[in-house]
Amino acid sequence: MPLHDVGYRPWRGKRRGYGHAVGVIAGTGIRLAWTSRWLRRAVFFAWSPALLFAASFFAFEQAVDQGQLGTMQEQARAGRNLDGVGVLGAVLARSLGAPPPDGRPLDANSTRHMVWARLLLAFMRAPQAVLLAVVVGLVAPTLISRDLRAKAWLVYFTRPVGKLEYILGKMAVLGVLVAAITMLPALALWALGVLVSPSVWVAVATWDLPLKIILASLTLAVPTVLMALAYSSLTAESRIASFAWFATWAACWIAHTALTTADLVAAAEVTRLSREAAAQESFFADEAFGEFASVPPVRPRSAPRGFRWLSRAAGLDSEIDRWAWLSPYHALGVVQAWIFGIETRWRAVLPPLVSLLTVTAVSILVLWRRVDAPARA
Amino acid sequence: MIPSAAALPVHLTNVVKRYGRRTVLDGVSLDVLPGITGLVGPNGAGKSTLVRAMLGLVRLAAGTVRVFGLDPQREPRAVRQSIGVVPEDECSVPGLSGVEMVRYAAQLAGLPGIEALRRAHEVLDWCDAGQERYRPVETLSVGVRQKVAFAAAIVHDPQLVILDEPTNGLDPLERRAMLGRLTTLAREHGKTILISTHVLPDVQAICERVIVLAGGRVRLSGSIRELTLPPAPEDRLEGIGPLDDMLMSLAGRGITARRVAPAPEAAPVSPAQRGAILFDASSAGSVPAVWEAARATGVVVLSLERAQRALEDVFLEAIAQADVPAHAAIGSSPGDDDATA
Repeated sequence: MPLHDVGYRPWRGKRRGYGHAVGVIAGTGIRLAWTSRWLRRAVFFAWSPALLFAASFFAFEQAVDQGQLGTMQEQARAGRNLDGVGVLGAVLARSLGAPPPDGRPLDANSTRHMVWARLLLAFMRAPQAVLLAVVVGLVAPTLISRDLRAKAWLVYFTRPVGKLEYILGKMAVLGVLVAAITMLPALALWALGVLVSPSVWVAVATWDLPLKIILASLTLAVPTVLMALAYSSLTAESRIASFAWFATWAACWIAHTALTTADLVAAAEVTRLSREAAAQESFFADEAFGEFASVPPVRPRSAPRGFRWLSRAAGLDSEIDRWAWLSPYHALGVVQAWIFGIETRWRAVLPPLVSLLTVTAVSILVLWRRVDAPARA
Repeated sequence: MIPSAAALPVHLTNVVKRYGRRTVLDGVSLDVLPGITGLVGPNGAGKSTLVRAMLGLVRLAAGTVRVFGLDPQREPRAVRQSIGVVPEDECSVPGLSGVEMVRYAAQLAGLPGIEALRRAHEVLDWCDAGQERYRPVETLSVGVRQKVAFAAAIVHDPQLVILDEPTNGLDPLERRAMLGRLTTLAREHGKTILISTHVLPDVQAICERVIVLAGGRVRLSGSIRELTLPPAPEDRLEGIGPLDDMLMSLAGRGITARRVAPAPEAAPVSPAQRGAILFDASSAGSVPAVWEAARATGVVVLSLERAQRALEDVFLEAIAQADVPAHAAIGSSPGDDDATA
């Protein structure tokens, strides 16, 4: 018996609005998820790639500060890799390699904008997107399936909580985690870049990048979070949802790689046949004109070794990835590149964009039908 | 006085609910009045579906449901704001302790964070949850879990409390305490309580009204006092002493009487000494004659009151009309209501 048992008392306080439930569900969900040691490790580990990219930002600003942009540009034009400055090497080699259109000397501000945008894209696309898949895979499958298993849906739907608040609350749990591993480190990188740059006015020159980071993070978060929650809502066994989540990423990645490789093999075959045809022609030409008529092939500059994955993620591949729509990872990358202004070809962006919108719409439909299905059964 | 339909806690008119071809609620019309009402019926009678209809969780084929004048289909949040539900199924958010669970329920109902915690402790104190409240819900005993579920249902001070098998898993002392809490809520705080249960003695002990649902239809509805009155007026005498001699004495006075089992817990006397007599009370002189017979035979009268039938008998008669096997209603243990009901 408590010392100060006051019995049952009516409650006459002011109640919060119905939207308040979203915050309550999200807060409790995050607190429960955070008790997982693996999640804490994953989120901590997710910040480590930021150190590598921070070094690149620092290296670029040092080059600008010491007036070495021109030198780097000459090196890039000469086809030399710039591995000495890490990821920046890949980015700069492409960014600085092309001659300025009007022949003017290199503009530090516009170069900075381009280099930063590519660095941020590479950061969000390469390591963070993979880490996002891992973190979401750790948390999302349990969010709804555990509610179904423990019949916790009764806790929500016998109270003034609608399906919308429930879904938004669960989305917010994952949204916060996704923001913690993508948006926050990217914004921190931008802030670091401003701090190590020669002038704080750099913040004004790159004002749009934080907005693009937020938009790119949302692009990353919304379809993935909804898809993960949709899987979670389809089963009371979180293991099955977890398997489905990782299987989707892996299978789509493998399918994308297989189809892209098949394209490359086909292209190589075409090139080989055309070279043979050209050699045949030159043979006949030599026979006819008695002089050397063939032209030595020009070797394109390759991406620096060790950073090919990152350089591809930074949007340095000029080829259109026609199978990107098939894989969530690649589709997200193309759309993010479009947001950062790096991929501007509409025919490259449209299929992945449609693919992501379709995944989002289907996931919403599944969630809307499934979250209160036991109550209707 | 019966309030108007708009002000009634629950008002259902011709409610029909079908799952595929199966009709679970077939033209149900009923009112739940302020006070304590029992909702009883065999397994599959449609009790749980009826509760879900009140919460706006199921789409109806026909009919209207009003809870405090509001339509749960159109304004589910406003309706659920005024309802607290203790589901039959154990439900909890894994990982939360008892007090966190109650606080969570309060916050979902719109109480601010600090106030929700204060209120959760207050209600758990009232439910006598003790220090168990700090353990994760999934590790609690069935009885404490039931207390936590009850606390979570009333923490936001709802006007209507719906309980599905509220005494399920409770020991006799806890059961009595739980029924006492329900009575307090109804009589001292003006709450409307709707109890869905198989335990008919619980219903008879605390409910003012009962609704018998069978085969998706309301078979019986009304005041328990009126429903359990015998067809002919009878009085019941509880006493100690030579009751058989008293029966013979009454027969000599022209009063029809018979021996029945004494009520349990009627007095602190062993059952061997106690006894009960039912006698015809239709004539005005029967009561004085009974007193005379008791004095003549040396029977000590413990109580003399208007006799009532057991609710179980009333219930069995009601569901017999619905062609529902009696064993489905009485032989089953509390809490094994099927998923469709």
